[in-house]
Amino acid sequence: MILIHCPYCDEQRPEIEFANAGQAHIARPSDPSAMSDEEWEHYLFIRANPRGRHHERWRHNHGCGRFFNAVRDTVTDKFETTYKAGEPRR
Amino acid sequence: MSEALVRSDPIPAGPFLGRDASLKAAPRLARYVLRARASAAVEKVLGAQIPTAIGGFANGVACLGPDEWLMFASDGRESPVDESGSVSVTEVSDRSVGIILEGARAAEILATGCPLDLDHFAVGRATRTIYETVEIVIVREAMDRFHIEVWRSFAPWLWTALTTAATE
Repeated sequence: MILIHCPYCDEQRPEIEFANAGQAHIARPSDPSAMSDEEWEHYLFIRANPRGRHHERWRHNHGCGRFFNAVRDTVTDKFETTYKAGEPRR
Repeated sequence: MSEALVRSDPIPAGPFLGRDASLKAAPRLARYVLRARASAAVEKVLGAQIPTAIGGFANGVACLGPDEWLMFASDGRESPVDESGSVSVTEVSDRSVGIILEGARAAEILATGCPLDLDHFAVGRATRTIYETVEIVIVREAMDRFHIEVWRSFAPWLWTALTTAATE
């Protein structure tokens, strides 16, 4: 089982306590009504699908309950680092 | 009709005695979830020191998250009152039931479904975690004694799983 470091608990915890919550660092547009349908569609549905280094949101839902960001390699499934939500992209 | 209504408990009232381990229902407790941005606000409401690090347990209060505390108190204790408006107090006494797992094989039995590294889970720590697919809160009261909190509707299943593990 993979161990994931939760930046809030500051501990390595088993993978099944966590849930993946999609791509990280997607900022909600400040003025959605000014956007075209294509831009809005892009914000809502279009996600990166890299082979390799990927920034993701994870939630420690069977632990402290917090969302945080993680950098995971999509090929090896290795977690490079995890950091608290709100911190700059690594 | 009402005379046909009976109270049914999710887990048996009597203990289960296995080899080097026993399981029993914890006494009835009052439980409160306290949410606040600052631990100082919670301490003011309770008038007692509370753990600030996640996983800490002191004075019947477990720190489950950066802004979340779970408080155990004796049955019938009145709800803590927050006058400042900075602490959210929710009574959850009947949401979960407690199971006491005790004996030399306690950690081994819990480890049958709980993926935590219990060898490094010190006495006096508390955390929310998972047993198979059921969310639980565990408090390690002694090396060989765990208090397990589980939601009422999951309790019969967890009781069966733990007693089965204890029989193996």
